[in-house]
Amino acid sequence: MKISQESGVPIYQQIATQLRNEILDGKIASGEFLPSIRGLAKELKISVITTMKAYELLEKEGLVTAVQGKGFLVRQQDCEMVKEQYRRKVEAHLTEALLAAKPAGMTLEEMITTLRILESEKGE
Amino acid sequence: MENVLEIRDLEKRYKEFAVKIPKLTIPKGFVTALIGENGAGKSSLLRVLGGIDTKYAGTIQYSNAYSDKEREKNSCPVKEMTGYTAMGGYYLPHWKLEQVANISELLFASFDKEKFQKLCKDMGVVEKEEDFKKRVDRCSDGTVMKLMLAGVLARDTKLLLLDEPASPLDPYMRDRLCEMMQEYMAEGNGERSIFFSTHNVSDMEYITDYAVIMAAGTVVEEGFTEDLSDKYVLVKGETEDFEAAKDLLIGCRKSQFGFEGLCLAEDLEKFTGFDFLKERPSLSQISVALIKEHSIMVR
Repeated sequence: MKISQESGVPIYQQIATQLRNEILDGKIASGEFLPSIRGLAKELKISVITTMKAYELLEKEGLVTAVQGKGFLVRQQDCEMVKEQYRRKVEAHLTEALLAAKPAGMTLEEMITTLRILESEKGE
Repeated sequence: MENVLEIRDLEKRYKEFAVKIPKLTIPKGFVTALIGENGAGKSSLLRVLGGIDTKYAGTIQYSNAYSDKEREKNSCPVKEMTGYTAMGGYYLPHWKLEQVANISELLFASFDKEKFQKLCKDMGVVEKEEDFKKRVDRCSDGTVMKLMLAGVLARDTKLLLLDEPASPLDPYMRDRLCEMMQEYMAEGNGERSIFFSTHNVSDMEYITDYAVIMAAGTVVEEGFTEDLSDKYVLVKGETEDFEAAKDLLIGCRKSQFGFEGLCLAEDLEKFTGFDFLKERPSLSQISVALIKEHSIMVR
């Protein structure tokens, strides 16, 4: 897991995003526990409260469930549904981008090129 | 949420200064930072909590169970479960390092001499065995602080009260200190807490869960760091909007290129129409703005 202090994205969101991807990709299987809060905080050199906030976000999304005294358990059933929710989110953002492209005079090809550049910059 | 410390109506008077805290609670299982400029009352508060200073009014409860009034009784576990460090601490200047170990062993049942010696070696307090013959007053400030940290970490405690632990340390050791604090917390599995003070929070904010900000002898803000970062917004704007914006801002700073200040997130809508940038503030940014706003010093 990678955390950036300077990206402008709150750290709890960075952690939630990476754990969410791992859960949806099946890298953390359902029935497994997320890393312990204090253990992950120590490994990532972040505060316990930030880690808790990330875990609580995933709990709110229904991806994990808190088990008293044991930690956060990855739930099974909802993965497809969450992926579908994200697909819809992507569609909504792309529709918005298409609308904004018109007054900007951007062609579809130009938009695709921009998207590729954004993707490659994100990877760096 | 359980509290490791509950402070009520605390009043500590000095000739020209007083610390007055009507109510303050420190959550159990977290790292809490006590932030404020020099003279804000941080050390006074920690000395009272650590039982170093016993002349004060008010009550303190430890772990929802023990009151400060019974702290000195032998049957009371507060002393055993608490570790306190401060510059100029409680080791006497003529003690040799090995005496520090021997005396600590007498004072605290859980003191682990081997762990203490290992911590001293790990932190570079000693290089070879005969260094344990060195006197405390022959050590630098940084070394004395490391020695005190080794002293409390070699015990099985529930609460660490650390007064400015990072100040005398070099940047590498500050990083190590944060690591050791996180190890202490991870081993405690929610049962351990740390309350440390600092006047420069930026070095240690990444391990801080809860913040208590003091100015002029009292607490001006407290809360979980994530909640504080949601409560406030850092606003940056153009110089020409400064006059209109300044009354809404906390700890505002103006330069020829623009202004910067903190505002309550709930007040953000009042900025509609201004050309400004908003950011989620870090704990350092929140602390600096609040301390500036409440400072007793004329700026």
